[in-house]
Amino acid sequence: MVSKHSLLTLAIQLRQGGFSLDVSVETEAQAVAIVGPSGSGKTTMLDAVAGLRRPDAGLIQVGQEILFNSHSGTNLPSHERRIGYVPQDLALFPHLTVQQNVLYGVSNAATEEHGRPVLQILEIQELLSRTIDSLSGGERQRVALARALMVRPRILLLDEPLAALDIALRDRILPYLERVREELKTPMIYVSHVPDEIRQIADWVIRLDAGQVVGSSVPAEAFGAETGNLTSPTRRRER
Amino acid sequence: MRLLFLLLIAGFGLSSCNGPLGHSGSVSGQRVVVSVAASLSDAVGDVANVFEKETGIHVIVNAAGSQILATQIIEEVPVDVFISADHRQMLRAIDRGKIAEGTIRDLLSNQLVVIVPSDRSMSINRPLDLIEQSVRRVALGDPEVVPAGVYAREYFDEVGVWNALTSKIVPTRNVRAALRAVEAGTVDAGVVYRTDMRTSLGAVIAFDVPVDRAPRITYPAALLADLPHPESAVQFFAFLQTAKAQHIFEAYGFIFLVAH
Amino acid sequence: MSELLEVTGFTVLMASVATLVMLPPGICVGWLLARRQFYGRSVLETVVTLPLVVPPVATGLILLKLLGRRGWLGGVMDSVGVDIVFTWKAVVVAMAVMGFPLLVRSARAGFEAVDRRYEGVAATLGASPFKVFLTISLPLARRGILAGAVLGFSRAIGEFGATIMIAGSLPGSRTLSVAIYRHAELGQDAAAAVLIIAAVAIGFVAVHVANRLGVAT
Repeated sequence: MVSKHSLLTLAIQLRQGGFSLDVSVETEAQAVAIVGPSGSGKTTMLDAVAGLRRPDAGLIQVGQEILFNSHSGTNLPSHERRIGYVPQDLALFPHLTVQQNVLYGVSNAATEEHGRPVLQILEIQELLSRTIDSLSGGERQRVALARALMVRPRILLLDEPLAALDIALRDRILPYLERVREELKTPMIYVSHVPDEIRQIADWVIRLDAGQVVGSSVPAEAFGAETGNLTSPTRRRER
Repeated sequence: MRLLFLLLIAGFGLSSCNGPLGHSGSVSGQRVVVSVAASLSDAVGDVANVFEKETGIHVIVNAAGSQILATQIIEEVPVDVFISADHRQMLRAIDRGKIAEGTIRDLLSNQLVVIVPSDRSMSINRPLDLIEQSVRRVALGDPEVVPAGVYAREYFDEVGVWNALTSKIVPTRNVRAALRAVEAGTVDAGVVYRTDMRTSLGAVIAFDVPVDRAPRITYPAALLADLPHPESAVQFFAFLQTAKAQHIFEAYGFIFLVAH
Repeated sequence: MSELLEVTGFTVLMASVATLVMLPPGICVGWLLARRQFYGRSVLETVVTLPLVVPPVATGLILLKLLGRRGWLGGVMDSVGVDIVFTWKAVVVAMAVMGFPLLVRSARAGFEAVDRRYEGVAATLGASPFKVFLTISLPLARRGILAGAVLGFSRAIGEFGATIMIAGSLPGSRTLSVAIYRHAELGQDAAAAVLIIAAVAIGFVAVHVANRLGVAT
């Protein structure tokens, strides 16, 4: 049953090649973390919510808005879904400046005005005239975040946003994410494998493995006292 | 630097902006379009110049292989007069009803000549000499398609040497290529038109193909059935058959066939 | 000398016009083949490749049948009073048709090299498919497109078979290749040589410009 207060309702079935994704999620949480070993389907899930991949069957609903429903044939195209997406490789447009990137989805003065707090929170002002290839790792992350947030998305999708950064940078960016969460109140789905991050940001954790949901809980319960039984065997926490 | 290049190119382009077909330069504004076989283009060009001076009618000469000209005529390109290098292409146009009835004339003739490289000492004076062992390769326009090749084959057949020659024949795309092969010395002999020898270096005539023994080489001329410029067309067509035109054609080495 | 300038200038001008003419459809078809599956796709691919594999004279004949007075397209043009055959417009048509496959191939490769992730993210930011094409795909594919334009231009300069069929060999609208052919046919080797040098020079300039634009040919 879909409750009126759910933030997120997902029922996605998707086959691609040898991989099969079959997940079902319903939650009111503001910030949902998705964890799981690599190849478990986390990115595919985000792609489906963003409209970049079409499920074979299922339902995707964010708040009151139905983005996809295979029963009724509804499939809102990506550009109408108002989703902010920060992919793992950031996908910053290499041929545009920082300002052009950040303002890419902004089409009128009102939106731009409303987006000012984003620029402040993420301290983008001094980066605006730079080119993408001149940015450091941390700066790129912030720009990608800003770009996604400027369009006032109804939900923010973050795919391992801090994975490529060293500890020091992670510690610097994490507060930004917290501020985004607190001040902009944007709901988010956050893919990560780092327990500390998840503990700080997420309200709810969903565990994925081989395309299936294998568990869900609050962050405190999601990880043991150890370094975390959810860490994928091939990755290490530190760099 | 690259700007300079681009400007150069633009400059070239603009320098030719006087507009192609439109630039007539004729007094009366009248014109006539003539499709002629490539080998006739200079001769007809000269005739056209004289005609223009006398009548003020601008003559546009479209010169290409007769095959292409006939194909164009069949597809109804705007042409008034057709002068072909052989009857076969003219027939193609006639069969499709594109030629005005009763206007076909055999305008010119040409003579075939057998030629050899100018630096060879081989003595070739008659067809039988071509069968000798010492003559290994003979260049001709492809006897399947090229009029000169067709004529050459008919002649050699007539004098009974064709069968012995077939293994030595190097068919070429056109007569010009046969001439070049002889000039370069890559073949031992070739058959071309007398008119081709006018400007040739590196090849000499070994012997003429006698006109009475050779097949009749003719360049038929005709008016098109659907004339874009009727008056000018008729005028020019008549001019082609006058003594003035004859004078010019003969200077190029053609045989003028129209009797007076 | 005046023939050299006139013919060279005319040919370069026509090739430039032909390149401009083939760019919009070339870019569109290149994008279509790179990004979209659709019914009849292989037919489109085949038709576009035809001028590459069919002898130019045959392509010229097909064009003549289309554009001649009896032709499907030509009949329409004629009724509107537009002449194509035997005019400079026919030169542009022949050049554009022969250069088109090269442009499409290159443009297609250019688009295929654009990471689809960029296009996907742009869509999530609210960009309509057309805006994505204009602001993301096209700029990022510009190298391939430019290379295609240079190739198309070079092909246009050297074009002969189709050109002579639909544009004829008329003074004042002769291209470089047709003029070279004419001189060669008449045994005027010196005149032909001069034009050949011009053609080679244009080829050098084209490659040089391409290199300056940072485009591999």
